[in-house]
Amino acid sequence: MDVRLDLVAAHRQAWDALGRPGTWFTGHQRVELAATAVRAMCDEHALAPWIAPSTVDGWLGDDLVTPSAAHDATYRIAAHAGTLSEPWYREMSGELGDLAYVEVVAIACTVAAVVAFRRAAGLEPWELPRPVDGEPSRLVPAGLVGATLNWVRVTSPADAVAAVVQAFTSVPDEHQRLWMLADAQYIPNLEMVDPRWTRGTLSRPQMELVAARVSKLRECFF
Amino acid sequence: MLSWSSNDTGTTTGTSVDLGAVAAGSGAVGIPLGDELLRFASAAADLRDVSAEMGDARDALAEVAGPEFMVDAAAVAANFHMMTRLADGTGARYPAPRLDDMASTISAMGATEMVSRR
Repeated sequence: MDVRLDLVAAHRQAWDALGRPGTWFTGHQRVELAATAVRAMCDEHALAPWIAPSTVDGWLGDDLVTPSAAHDATYRIAAHAGTLSEPWYREMSGELGDLAYVEVVAIACTVAAVVAFRRAAGLEPWELPRPVDGEPSRLVPAGLVGATLNWVRVTSPADAVAAVVQAFTSVPDEHQRLWMLADAQYIPNLEMVDPRWTRGTLSRPQMELVAARVSKLRECFF
Repeated sequence: MLSWSSNDTGTTTGTSVDLGAVAAGSGAVGIPLGDELLRFASAAADLRDVSAEMGDARDALAEVAGPEFMVDAAAVAANFHMMTRLADGTGARYPAPRLDDMASTISAMGATEMVSRR
């Protein structure tokens, strides 16, 4: 199966970054959380949305390097994103820190993109990367503010762009990676305004059909 | 979901899509390869399904549209596994006036009672 080189490169870059130190988690922690995300998405016997993995004997290993709350958040986002509520977000961001919470969402997003693509295209799943030693950057962008269109803080000015566009701006590395993936998987940002843009395969209406059907089945209102 | 089903692609390109068929997962969508794409997207949405449906839907799409087309359809499906988690994980919502404008789309897509509506 031939896959566009730009798509392979985007997936490989994002996947490998799971093993490197992030902004709030080490590479070892990020790989651990990514493993929880993979299991949450693919396990035939998913836990119910209201059951956290940390409350189930043996679900999480005994030698975790990441706080169990981060695993619980990863699991819920990966497995049951359509059930999330603002009180749940407040609880999780209170335990993890609100910017670390954003990185957890980003890890789940990267895993979802690569796992879903390879399954749909009939390709073998990738092994998670080997963790790279090092400390997280703990970079906090200047000018973070609350938003009306998201639960999470964003860079100022808030709500000047769509909610999904500003969602990861508080963790710039994840923001950059997410839009790199979107460019390769869907439509390059500069082409979004052209409703007739195509890679020569799917037309825009055909892309929107796939997008709407997947989003509907995932019970995502946005 | 509404970001993708309510944009102006259809009107700008002169294409009419039956959102009821998209929501139901069956029926005439109204665009070329609509049936095959609807089946493929439905199978791609459920990562836990271990039945043969994903493989069958993939083969059916590749047979009529070619492997490159199928790979790009898989990439779009993957993008919305990613974007739905981004939107719901960060509490993304629309400004109220935009919701008013999308009322008919919300109804057609059967989204009025979705838990993720904020």
